[in-house]
Amino acid sequence: MRFNEKELVFLSRQPSEMAAEMGMRGPKKGDVIKKRLVKLVVNFLFYFRTDEEEPIGALLLEQCRVEREDRQSFSIAFLDEAERKYLFECDSKEQCEEWMDSIIKASYEFMRKNLIFYRTEIHRLTGKDPLEQYGISDETRFQVTNGLQLMSRDTSTL
Amino acid sequence: MKLHKKVLTHYLSCTSPVDKEGYLFKRKERNGTYQRRWFVLKANLLFYQERPADRNLLGVIVLEGCAVRRSESDGQFGFSLVFEAPGLKTYRFAATDHQTQERWVKALLSASHCYMSLLVRDLGRQYEEAKQQRGSSSVSALTPPTSSFLLSVQQPAAVVREVRSFSASSVLQASSAPSRVAARKSPKLWHRRNAHVTPLNGPAPPNGEWPLVDFNPLEDFSKLHDYYGQEVKKAREDWLRSQQAKEDDDLIDLG
Repeated sequence: MRFNEKELVFLSRQPSEMAAEMGMRGPKKGDVIKKRLVKLVVNFLFYFRTDEEEPIGALLLEQCRVEREDRQSFSIAFLDEAERKYLFECDSKEQCEEWMDSIIKASYEFMRKNLIFYRTEIHRLTGKDPLEQYGISDETRFQVTNGLQLMSRDTSTL
Repeated sequence: MKLHKKVLTHYLSCTSPVDKEGYLFKRKERNGTYQRRWFVLKANLLFYQERPADRNLLGVIVLEGCAVRRSESDGQFGFSLVFEAPGLKTYRFAATDHQTQERWVKALLSASHCYMSLLVRDLGRQYEEAKQQRGSSSVSALTPPTSSFLLSVQQPAAVVREVRSFSASSVLQASSAPSRVAARKSPKLWHRRNAHVTPLNGPAPPNGEWPLVDFNPLEDFSKLHDYYGQEVKKAREDWLRSQQAKEDDDLIDLG
């Protein structure tokens, strides 16, 4: 499957508030913890060897479960394979919590849910559709029924 | 760089909404010919394959940091995704008719993570204002996705700066106090029409057409879309023209 690699590498080089060195371990048996520069940009988690310009890899942060593993570390599990986790070891409890929170909120689906919630609530409170002024009321991605389906199933990224 | 593809394909096939799908012609870089492909837009990702039923994904384009442009020079109904930095690509597409072209351009314009992020902040602010005006007596049947999200305005955001395509509005860049960021409007960010003004070419839609919680909005959004369609198109064109004339770079380039 092709992807726009150069453009994604360019994205990974953009300044980000969430960038730190951590211990990172892959999901496969036999994977060991390695020191990586981990960087959150939009809904991607990039990881670099320290001091390298191009990331080793990129993880899309959608449909993933973020879990606390112990006081200073968290994991991200993708797909439905709860046991295949990427482990991240932080320097402190606070850093660990900050990263977990940021990763969850970075998900596009998480933002979409919030948007739909706000849209519905603003309309309920004011009688007006807040997207109308931007001319985007009819875009599929902002539709209220989508949000309701998602919310009633409670499928958050957690 | 390794892109973990299984994560992407899983996201594509999961139950979260598809934002747009359909056939388009995609221009091959090497020889300039166009190939018909089935495109699926989900979040800030544009997937493509030969046919809808295919299990084999040909590729994906991550839609961050690109401008969306109508390009009639590529033939009729053409448009492109321009990644604006040295050495980066331009993807060229062609639709079979004007309506398809317009719909894709519109869908792609609002596809980026940055766009959604700013929109959510803006609506979050409007929500807080609306709640204050109504007082705490309003009870909603809905619960927010995570209450902590709404209570704390100070989310650590991956605000991306400096590069033109990624620059958020100056409102978000300047602030070191997150609560102030949420309270301020961004006057330049989108072309704003006064929501209270009745459209010039007709009466305001009746209350029954607003999205209600248990109401199918699709039926009525199509009415709204047709209704506002002409105005939106003109507004967008005006806005695009004004953007091209601007020298100030601290805006998201939505094309």
